[in-house]
Amino acid sequence: MSTPKAMQQSFALRFSSGAFLAFWCLLAAFPIFWIAVMSFKSPVDAFADSPWDVILGPATRANGDGLSLLDIVVGLVVLYFAIRWAFTRLPGLVRQYCPPGLLVLGWVFGAIAYALAFVLIFFGLLPLVLGALNSILGPLGAPVLGLTTDHYVAVWGENEFYRNFLNSMLVTAGVVTISLTVGTLAGYGLARSGSDLAFWLLILALVFRALPHSVLVAGYLPVFINSSEILRPIFGDGAPTLYGQPWAVIAVLVSINQPFTIWMLRSFFQNIPAELDEAARVDGCSHFQAFRRVIMPVMWPGVITTGLFSFLLGYNDFLVTSLLLDAQNQTMVPAIAGYFNRETTTTDQVEAVAAAVSITAPLFLLVMVFQRQIVSGLTAGAVKG
Amino acid sequence: MKFKTFAAFVGPSVFMMLLFIAAPLVSVFIQSFQVTQPILEQIEVETCTPGFVTQTCTTEIKTVPVLDDSGKTVTETRWVGLQSYRNVLQMEKFWSAVGNGDWNAIMQIDFWKALRFTLSFTLLTLPLVIGVGLAIALAVNNATRAIRGPIIFISLLPFIITPVIGSLSIYWLFVGDGILTAMLERWSGTNISMFAQAWTIELLMYFYRVWHVAPFAFVIFYAGLQTVNMDTLESAVIDGASRWERLRHVIVPHLMPLIIFIALIHLMDCYRVFEEIVGFRSQAHVISLQWLTYDFMTPDDAGNRAISRASASAMLTMVGIVFLLILPLRRTWRDHKGSAH
Amino acid sequence: MFLKKIALAGAISLMGSTAFAACSYENTTPVKSLSAGFEAWKAVTDAMAECGNFQAELDQEFRTKQPAAFEANPSLYQIGGVSNGTITPLLNAGTIRPLDDLVEKYGQNLKPNQLIRINGQIMAVAMMVNTQHLMYRSDVLADLGIETPSTWDEVLAASAKIKEAGVMEYPLGATLKSGWNLAQDFNNMYAGFGGKFFNDDNTAAVNSEAGIKSLEMMKAMTEYTDPEVLVSDSTYVQQQFQQGKIAMANLWASRAGAMDDEAESQVVGKVAMSAAPKAMEGGVPATTLWWDGIVIAKNISDEEADAAFRLAMEGLDSEMVKSANDAAIWLVDGYAPTDIAKGAIETATANPAPPAYPSTTQMGLLHSALGNELPAFFTGERSAEATLEAITEAYTTSAKEAGVLK
Repeated sequence: MSTPKAMQQSFALRFSSGAFLAFWCLLAAFPIFWIAVMSFKSPVDAFADSPWDVILGPATRANGDGLSLLDIVVGLVVLYFAIRWAFTRLPGLVRQYCPPGLLVLGWVFGAIAYALAFVLIFFGLLPLVLGALNSILGPLGAPVLGLTTDHYVAVWGENEFYRNFLNSMLVTAGVVTISLTVGTLAGYGLARSGSDLAFWLLILALVFRALPHSVLVAGYLPVFINSSEILRPIFGDGAPTLYGQPWAVIAVLVSINQPFTIWMLRSFFQNIPAELDEAARVDGCSHFQAFRRVIMPVMWPGVITTGLFSFLLGYNDFLVTSLLLDAQNQTMVPAIAGYFNRETTTTDQVEAVAAAVSITAPLFLLVMVFQRQIVSGLTAGAVKG
Repeated sequence: MKFKTFAAFVGPSVFMMLLFIAAPLVSVFIQSFQVTQPILEQIEVETCTPGFVTQTCTTEIKTVPVLDDSGKTVTETRWVGLQSYRNVLQMEKFWSAVGNGDWNAIMQIDFWKALRFTLSFTLLTLPLVIGVGLAIALAVNNATRAIRGPIIFISLLPFIITPVIGSLSIYWLFVGDGILTAMLERWSGTNISMFAQAWTIELLMYFYRVWHVAPFAFVIFYAGLQTVNMDTLESAVIDGASRWERLRHVIVPHLMPLIIFIALIHLMDCYRVFEEIVGFRSQAHVISLQWLTYDFMTPDDAGNRAISRASASAMLTMVGIVFLLILPLRRTWRDHKGSAH
Repeated sequence: MFLKKIALAGAISLMGSTAFAACSYENTTPVKSLSAGFEAWKAVTDAMAECGNFQAELDQEFRTKQPAAFEANPSLYQIGGVSNGTITPLLNAGTIRPLDDLVEKYGQNLKPNQLIRINGQIMAVAMMVNTQHLMYRSDVLADLGIETPSTWDEVLAASAKIKEAGVMEYPLGATLKSGWNLAQDFNNMYAGFGGKFFNDDNTAAVNSEAGIKSLEMMKAMTEYTDPEVLVSDSTYVQQQFQQGKIAMANLWASRAGAMDDEAESQVVGKVAMSAAPKAMEGGVPATTLWWDGIVIAKNISDEEADAAFRLAMEGLDSEMVKSANDAAIWLVDGYAPTDIAKGAIETATANPAPPAYPSTTQMGLLHSALGNELPAFFTGERSAEATLEAITEAYTTSAKEAGVLK
């Protein structure tokens, strides 16, 4: 696609716009990059004053953990190709092997498989090969960059962080599915009804969205803890204690997220011409049939985008999950915050950083995979205001 | 659409919102006019606590709640009218401070201090977020197609990262001799402590919020830019409009609904700013309205929580938010009326 | 290298799941506990877990959850971990049971000192004491010929000397993070000046001469502390020590072990402990005594209570103490105090001894009021008198709301 001549830009404009972008990318990535670096260092290095000490990690190296020049070069090359492959080949493969109706599932599956393969190659195969090479190479193979995976091993091994990971996955999956199911129906209903009731419902939802969460959550706690006593007259002895139940937390998070979801989806449905479902209605479909046959096939871009926001909310939530879940069902974010309570040590903090970096990884993958869908979903109208 | 069909579509969603948001909201509203207290009695208690080797026993008069036969605390609930609101607002102090023209004295009252910060936080970050978001969107739209993917990816990072972790990562860069503070110190040659005074902490909080939310604005504006009508743009070029004029008269009007959407979301989210206060530990210098509510709500060691004042401060926060939203919502109302008829 | 570590970690976790050997019996009743999450609790709950059928919740929100969870019927947890601060709501609501018969049955190894008695009934079993006391860099003080300070005036003089000598810019560390920490430091100093917290009619008595003196002393401290002291909590002060940035601090005894942790600390063997400094000559060390221990819920069956208490005793045995000797100042039999416990023991056995932190409803309210109102004094927005007045006012408002004051 060639740009019309009149639209072409002067060098100065291109340069300053490029420089601005570079600066922004640095700003956006640096804090995250920095905690990632910290997570690989011994506590002494991680909180050192001099940035070089944090990056090079002399104390970590003194403990005998480090990377040689060869490790770094090979690791970077592998990383480069892995990322390139994810952007170029992975989408093709998924499209090729996946039945068109299940594209979303295909992507999820592809992403998980990709993540597993990456972890296996990068942390399993590569160290083995490089370890052998380093011992042959002598001085070139000597560690120059202090780096230790101790904290990750401690977090995922000793502290059984995978339990929190599974809990997080359960809660997030529940939030996304239910939120979208309920929200799509409501969004469609609101978009197709021009009544004042619909308008006021939307405004009410907006006011609900504005509520400070801490008020809501503190209100739930006593009710949730005593729910088996409260509900006994209705459900008999089988009345559940809601406190600590992932599905109760899912219900709360879905409700808190409903206002945003229905607003997004309503605007999206408004941009699907009403003639489409009216035509179906003329053919004798009910509203629900029209929704299923006509709207459902075209609604995915908007739903995926909205789903991503639900995912972020469920995955990142701290206030609700920390108060309403017990240790067995705790998700990752409150588990990490637990490292920072009044009685922590520096090692705890670095482990918390390692845990924090680990929980960012799935988010990375998610955005990598769905990036195009986010933009196209938003373009298709989920944000027309 | 018939009402029945409409109700079936929105039913589940409305039910969940009523159960988990409206019901607590109603109870908060009622509690803000009530005070629930345990019935207390004074009894003499002998308490023996350990030293390192031997115990010390003290006998003192303690105030403890009365328990009924089933072992539950006996409580009494009274309607107190606006008492809790008065306790939060402290109007007499406020007016006497206003009378003296003493800004400092107003800022000694928690609610007004929190309101001042919440408002300036909300209103100052709003244009920044929209401006920065728009600037990034324009710059990305300007960039070569090949590098757009990775740039969008990096730009989204601050938005997707877990807020608790994002604010901590920035906190660590600046606290004490954190590397960025150290860098600033070397560069300016003075001793800098970012967390020692209110204005630097506030600055960091603004920075963090813009850093965190601008990507959201960016991605939405970027999506909006994809639908700008090229014909209009080209005819603007033919008319001799400069780049700036095209931005002002074609692009910004096209993005206007999105700007309002973002402003709306941003106003709501900022007005309940909370994570920054905890993440940057700014309680000594600046507090926000939601933090105030949270603080009333959090039990102390002895289990006391100021539920009534928390409810009152929550209701006041709500009122504030409704005021802020009226302006952008008037447009939505007009659109609604326009589309309905 | 990495694979070896994974294999090792796997082997350790396998060992963990099958190691009933360390427990003298096998627990068959499911038991759950809720407590804070610091090192000592980790050691105790790990020891309990060895008997099987036990789930420990080490939760930073335990303060919020505990009163409600114990009030539920049946209680969501059988065992609770409390301190003399957090036992108050449980005692007030009557949700924990007297332990006399259980102590008789299973408590042969308990020392009388460990039994917390309220009106003669045993309501809790203490496992450790904690207190804030002076930690100092023995090498720095020795180099400058400074004797170990025993009063706050001496601490300030020593700080001035270290600063003048150019060894450190900010020689003093302090846990003055606004909120709970700052209020606790005021409590310590106020106790050191012999202040009384309440009048007989439950009104606050901090607006007194001792209050002014405490604030002045604390303000004098901030001259030698990092300017960011209002965000510094125990972990931060501990880090400053470990990185060799400060020479002295009045810090929790439970933090002492970290100074000699080679993985974190750059000052191993250089930090010594001594009694908390006095605020005035002839006074008590300016600190308060704390204990941590276990309670058993009331709203559970007697069998469950029996099993829970037996399990708790297994967690509080001398074997556990031996494996985690430096994690706390244990009260449990078998504890061998090392050098790092010296300061805490000196503090606790001082004559006159510092007071225990009062476990009353009013103290909770006052603590919050202090935590919220004190920062304005340290940022210089308010004078000492105005601050104390504001504290009294804030306390009065919340005490009225809680029904403590009419």
